[in-house]
Amino acid sequence: MKLRTIRYFFREAFVNLFRNGWMSLASIGAVASALIIFGSFLMISINFDYIAKNVESQVEITAYVEDSVDKLKINQIEYNIKSIDGVKEVVFVSKEQALEEFKKQVGEELLEGIENPLPNSFRVKVETPQEVAGVAERIQKIDGIEEVKYGKGVVEKLFKITYWMRLVGLAVMAIFAAISVFIISNTIKITVFSRRREISIMKYIGATDWFVRWPFLIEGMLLGFTGSLIAIALLATGYSYLYDMVKMNVPMISLLPIEEFYDYSLGLLLMGTVLGAFGSGFSIRKFLRV
Amino acid sequence: MQHIIEMVGVSKIYPGGCAALKDINVKIGKGEFVFLVGPTGAGKSTFLKLLFREELPTRGQIFINGKNITRLKPKEVPYLRRRLGVVFQDFRLLPQKTVYENVAFAMEVIEASPREIRRRVPKVIEMVGLSHKMNSRPHELSGGEQQRAALARALVNNPDVIIADEPTGNLDPDTSWEIMKLLDEINKKGTTLIVATHAKELVDAMKKRVLQLEDGRLVRDEERGVYCCET
Repeated sequence: MKLRTIRYFFREAFVNLFRNGWMSLASIGAVASALIIFGSFLMISINFDYIAKNVESQVEITAYVEDSVDKLKINQIEYNIKSIDGVKEVVFVSKEQALEEFKKQVGEELLEGIENPLPNSFRVKVETPQEVAGVAERIQKIDGIEEVKYGKGVVEKLFKITYWMRLVGLAVMAIFAAISVFIISNTIKITVFSRRREISIMKYIGATDWFVRWPFLIEGMLLGFTGSLIAIALLATGYSYLYDMVKMNVPMISLLPIEEFYDYSLGLLLMGTVLGAFGSGFSIRKFLRV
Repeated sequence: MQHIIEMVGVSKIYPGGCAALKDINVKIGKGEFVFLVGPTGAGKSTFLKLLFREELPTRGQIFINGKNITRLKPKEVPYLRRRLGVVFQDFRLLPQKTVYENVAFAMEVIEASPREIRRRVPKVIEMVGLSHKMNSRPHELSGGEQQRAALARALVNNPDVIIADEPTGNLDPDTSWEIMKLLDEINKKGTTLIVATHAKELVDAMKKRVLQLEDGRLVRDEERGVYCCET
């Protein structure tokens, strides 16, 4: 393909885009709204994933040691915990360390002059979150352990939600992708229809199908590309707003940083462009049969 | 004489059972001028459509320049059409383009170089006697001038054959006669011409080979023929 032919394709595509201005706008709007809805689901879904992973990595068992237990016994308990199947890591937290951490959380002044009420403890990490319950139970049975705490139920619920979110997100994406293709193909159909005479003349003169097709494909891709740019801009604005709001009001939940969204936006851009190409490809097929 | 077009046992039955052509056998030599005559619905248009592969025959083979065009892949069809120039009764010029641009368009479509286009287009327009209207748009031209422009477009890529479907159908007798003379000139320069027409006087005066179709059959093939005798 020659360079001037490519130039010709782009010129034709742009001329058509502006000639059917309103329909072009409608198509861009369709792609944009489809991608905004899809993108929102995507962001919700990956955020659930992100939060779930965060919680998962934080899942640990805290085993409090009875105050009466001496140093030697503590070493023995640590050895016992380590020998349980599925335990990844055991960290001993002494009374003093616990107090230091607590001070950091609540503030030094409040605890001034109070005798340390905190027990010695072990922080235990497991290989997989599913093993938490079993491991916790066995730690509980070790002599000298006063109490065992873990936060397993939360993670499981989160996993269930992410699973459904993904499923729903996928379905919604498929539906809106189909709608975008439909609307774009209708827009292009109008251009194609108003130029069917020209197309048939081109075919009689001996133009190849691709020579006829390219300007329309480019037009579709431009529509899709512009639509997805708009969608990305709106999603990015909305997401950063949401991110700040969550950060301020719900500090224990940390959302996926906005930078990560830009990686996904490249995917959205590609998707919009491909949708546009598909839409125009569909609508021109019939007119090429001359 | 070398045959540029050859039809062997060609029949065309459209979906729905309408038989447009029945067992056509015909050979057309290089450089010939052939009239295709017959009443409306006799199969003239189908005959032409088969030549530039708008339609495929139901039975039989068609050879152009020795190549069997019924076996062409869809991808090869454009390259067949570049060897043929087509002219229609309704001219089919692009309304928003000038005469020059319309003719140049035919060369752009086959990706000719801009230099070649600038060199060739004025020459062809001059050949059809339209140099003074080169920058006019179709609606500023008379019917005869529009057909000249269409002819220039058909000629610009130097086709082996020009296929004209009722080229004078929309024109008054004087203008028709001028177009016929122009076609004859083109033919004398070596291009094969196949002209479907209803113009009895023109056919009679030109004394060219006449193929007469009736009800899908080739009923007459006459050198230096006339339009016809009512049967």
